[in-house]
Amino acid sequence: MSLFSTLSISGSGMSAESERLSAIASNIANANSAVGAGGQPFRAREVVFQAASLQGEGDDSDDPSTTGMSGVKVAAVVESNAPTHTVYDPTSTFADDKGYVQMPNVNPVDEMVNMISAQQDYQANLEAFNVAKTLAMRTLSI
Amino acid sequence: MAATIDTGLDFFRQVLALRATRQEILSADIANASTPGFKAIDLDFAAAMQDAMSQRRGSETTPAAPKRLWLVDDARQLPAANATGANVAPEFVKYQTGSEVTLDGNSVDLDTEKVNAGENAVQYEAAATFTSQTLRMLMIAITGSGSSQSGGS
Repeated sequence: MSLFSTLSISGSGMSAESERLSAIASNIANANSAVGAGGQPFRAREVVFQAASLQGEGDDSDDPSTTGMSGVKVAAVVESNAPTHTVYDPTSTFADDKGYVQMPNVNPVDEMVNMISAQQDYQANLEAFNVAKTLAMRTLSI
Repeated sequence: MAATIDTGLDFFRQVLALRATRQEILSADIANASTPGFKAIDLDFAAAMQDAMSQRRGSETTPAAPKRLWLVDDARQLPAANATGANVAPEFVKYQTGSEVTLDGNSVDLDTEKVNAGENAVQYEAAATFTSQTLRMLMIAITGSGSSQSGGS
C-alpha cells in the first residue's frame, strides 16, 4: 500500500535530517575545542546523504521506472578537510614553541546556513508525513 | 453487457491508487531534497490515467471469463495486485525537467514539490469523497431509501 510506504519514506527523511542537525549541533558546540579525540583539534563533521530503496532490493540502476520510490539514508559521516585556523595565544597549554594554537576548522557561518537548510528539509518531510497520514485516515472513512 | 454493482467504483480505485503513488513519489523527492546527485521524479498522472482507462475499455469489449473465488492456498488463486508494494504505473514515472540543478547535482525544488504534494492531496480527498458518494448512491439503490432513513427504521 503506497500510502504506508509514503509514511516510511518521509520518516527516513526526518531521521536523516535530524542526524544532520545533530552533526551541526556537535560542530557548533565544539567550535572552540582545541583538543578533540586523539589530541588533535576537533574537525567539523558532515553527513553524506544517499537515496536508498526502502524495499532493500539493492538495485542501483538509475531508471526511475524500475527502481521503487527511494527514501534517504546517511551513507557516511565525513570529516571536513578545511584547514584548521591558527590563533596566537602563547599562554595556552596547547601552544606550540612559537605560541600558536591550532583551533578547529568549524566555520560557524557555514554551520548556521546548513542548519537552516536542515530545518526546512525536516519541516518539508514532516508536512509530507502529515499529509499522507491525513489521506490514509480519509481513506478509512470512505 | 449488464451493469455490475461496482460500475464506476473501478474508476475511483484507479484514481486513488495513482494519486497515492504520486504522493509517494513526491514524498521521496522531498526526503531526498539534500541528497547529492538525486534527480527529482514525478508521475504523469493524466497519461497513466488515460492508459488505465483504455485498458479497461479494451477488456470490456472482450468479456473475460467469469472470475471465481479460490481458496487462499489454491494454486489457481488470482495473484493479489501490487502485493509486493511495487509501483502502480512504472512506465509513467519520469524525471522532472526544467528545474534548477544545484552544484551537488540535486534537482529537487522544495517549493514546487510541496505545492504538487498539496494539490495531489486535495485531488486524493476529492476522489475519496466521490467514492463515498457513489457508495451511498448504491446503498440507496439497494435499500430503496437513504441510509439515514434505513438506519432510523
